[in-house]
Amino acid sequence: MFRFDPYSPEFDADPFPAYKTLRDEHPCYWSEEAGMWVYSRYADIVTALNDWQTYSSAKGNLVDELPNRAGNTLGTTDPPRHDRLRALIQTAVTKRALDHIIEPAQASCRAHLDALAGRSSFDFVNDYSSNVTVDLLFYLFNLPKEGQKTVRDKAVLMVQTDPETRQKGPQHIEAYEWMANYAAELVAERKQNPGDDLMSNFITAEIDGEKLKDREVQLTVTTLIMAGIESLSGFMSVFALNLADHADARRRLAADPSLIPDAMEESLRYNTSAQRFKRCLQRDVDAHGQQMKAGDFLMLAYRSANRDERQFENPDVYDIESKPKGHLGFGGGVHACLGTAIARLACKVAFEELLTRYPEFERVEDRLPWVPSSNFRSPMRLELSVG
Amino acid sequence: MPKVTYIEHNGTEHEIDLPDGWTLMQGATLNGIDGIEGECGGSCGCATCHVYVDEAFLAKLDPPSENEEEMLECTVSPRESNSRLGCQIKVTDALDGIVVRMPEAQS
Repeated sequence: MFRFDPYSPEFDADPFPAYKTLRDEHPCYWSEEAGMWVYSRYADIVTALNDWQTYSSAKGNLVDELPNRAGNTLGTTDPPRHDRLRALIQTAVTKRALDHIIEPAQASCRAHLDALAGRSSFDFVNDYSSNVTVDLLFYLFNLPKEGQKTVRDKAVLMVQTDPETRQKGPQHIEAYEWMANYAAELVAERKQNPGDDLMSNFITAEIDGEKLKDREVQLTVTTLIMAGIESLSGFMSVFALNLADHADARRRLAADPSLIPDAMEESLRYNTSAQRFKRCLQRDVDAHGQQMKAGDFLMLAYRSANRDERQFENPDVYDIESKPKGHLGFGGGVHACLGTAIARLACKVAFEELLTRYPEFERVEDRLPWVPSSNFRSPMRLELSVG
Repeated sequence: MPKVTYIEHNGTEHEIDLPDGWTLMQGATLNGIDGIEGECGGSCGCATCHVYVDEAFLAKLDPPSENEEEMLECTVSPRESNSRLGCQIKVTDALDGIVVRMPEAQS
């Protein structure tokens, strides 16, 4: 009998066959292991993303939610409050407001590539993408330089689950709480000495004449750090993996870097690292012969939707010319990723620099260690041979 | 399903049936219609789904939110009195037959 277990490492190694079975045979599936329903078809997920009144985020959006987080972050707040919170940050992260990150991002990429000189292989994740994203985030939030590595380690850990139990273990909760405290200290410091950085603007903002709640500011900053470091690095790692596996595509990008943005969009469709999020039903919903009840949780499997042959032609082919529109690599609807413009720009710069330095690379390991997480799927390590 | 007519800047027309509750931005991006980008995924964060709504339907729409107003200030093609962001307009039976024109450029 078919079972879909989002906590199974075997499943993580290659989730696509199971996603296809879900789409074709169980489009509204009850996962015993996750204790929630699963939507896997593109159209169902878009419908859910559009209808936040029915499919609420206020009870948490992570498949395994962290304690006291739901209701206190952008991603776990429903409109109209969500929209007001988001508006406070949104204008600072639109494409036109981001030119200032290009030069620092280039400099950071070059420095981390310089450090690889003479090596015949390197780990894309730990030697490049995570360093570049941490540098960028520290620049954007104007964070104190000391402790960069610790912040990165905690950000990585807090999104993971235990590799054995596949649940949040004490070390993950501890990392999350460490980050929340780190954010709390920053918030306190910025309240005293606000600058004109993204975080200061958010901290000093008011909604309807009311200051934001401290907890709300802390946990939103915590989430922004987590997303800025772990999600962006995960996205870059998957892109690098695709280019290692598709040498023709990589060579075309190296010869003509103006193709990088299209290839990036295709990677966001083909195997987005943000593979599933959660919603809570606010009313009974019948779907595909199943009766879901108000209060039930539902998983939205973006990565499956992006391979739905009902929506995308030849979805299992990585084609940098396909220019996929409407993919769910950043989610969609009111909660679509806040950092899309930053992610696209940073990733473009990171790969322009990488491909200039290393137009040829291939992966060293056939079987990759995947981040143990019920939300994200990206390699923990991606050794690339460049010699 | 409500019907939507998209008119590209060069005059090409596309008539699409959209599932109830889907947005004008989704209708275009999911049906391969050029002229709408929807870079931010529909969160009112990029102004690349700018459309000019046919006057006959303008009054049937909820007025733009503060966020949308702010983003409409960032459109690449000129903002007109009938400018809206496609991701903020969900089609319903009340909007059946709506006609929108796409601007010359989105980004």
